[in-house]
Amino acid sequence: MIRGLIILLGFQGAGEIISRLFSLPVPGPVIGLVLLLVFLIRRGKIDAPIDTVASALTKHLGLLFVPAAVGVVMFWPQLRTHFWAISIALIVSVTATIAVSAAILRFWPGGKTGS
Amino acid sequence: MTPGLPIAEIWVYLAGSPLFALLLTLAAYEAGVTIYERANRHPFANPVAIAVLIVAAGITLIDMPYAKYFEGAQFIHFLLGTATVALAVPIYQCWGALRGKVLPLVASLLGGGAVSIVSAVGIARLLGADSTIQKAMMAKSVTAPIAMGVAERISASPTLTAVFAVTTGIVGAIVARYVLDALKMQAWWQRGFPIGVAAHGIGTSRALSINAEAGAFSGLAMGMHGVAGAVLIPLIADLVV
Repeated sequence: MIRGLIILLGFQGAGEIISRLFSLPVPGPVIGLVLLLVFLIRRGKIDAPIDTVASALTKHLGLLFVPAAVGVVMFWPQLRTHFWAISIALIVSVTATIAVSAAILRFWPGGKTGS
Repeated sequence: MTPGLPIAEIWVYLAGSPLFALLLTLAAYEAGVTIYERANRHPFANPVAIAVLIVAAGITLIDMPYAKYFEGAQFIHFLLGTATVALAVPIYQCWGALRGKVLPLVASLLGGGAVSIVSAVGIARLLGADSTIQKAMMAKSVTAPIAMGVAERISASPTLTAVFAVTTGIVGAIVARYVLDALKMQAWWQRGFPIGVAAHGIGTSRALSINAEAGAFSGLAMGMHGVAGAVLIPLIADLVV
């Protein structure tokens, strides 16, 4: 458990350092993700400590968004004035995004079988 | 309550420590998950949405400012970065299944990403939302921590961007099943990937609760959108808003 946490935080830290050192537009955690992925591919397996912590974190990914989402409270007055514009924009946009993204996969040559 | 009473002192202490914010957030999420499970994982019983409503109601009720709440809850917020790194694990698990799928996946990501920006900004502008709101819509389909970084780069409000990103994630997690069913999407990887493109981490959380393969491809899409969004959105921001 602790070993897995150290490894994940290590990759996150390495990502942060690389992101800042080369002032990349890609944030540290995403670089950390890529580094860990490369590490796993080269290693050819997932060590148990990494698996334990990674499963716990991804299983409760939703929880980690709660503090930022409560920020809605702070923006309420501004959001209320444009409530309908924002709601319609977000709902239509996310629906269209899923639809287009899915349609491309489905109508790509050989995509219909889904195999 | 008269000041000086022990209970009031205890309350002052609790409100000042991270304990209260942490406890409230965890308890609200636990309640959200319990309701989600009781509702047979119905999309409308989204656990994140339920938790946010409970926490927002809770801190409003006791008059706690958001900044004060966040001071305690930042320990949970911090783990978003670590969880992003951890997504390498589900992506690695579907690595072997990627053969021959790379091209359609990249096309799906770029098509979905473009539609996400153009439709959100276009509709917001059409309905009279100001440029602050339009700008904050740019990065809404990118996962919240990355979206906030992108927002800074394109001089949009990071907090407002995060609010839109999280709302998008919740709405996406709710509507995904209906959109995918309407399009008769069958393969789990084809159902998962669009969720990650549109609804990042919250969508991925939903996908993982339904099927492991869908969750892995949703996580893959979220990671790819994070990288692509961080690089491409600043380049096209000036053209759109």
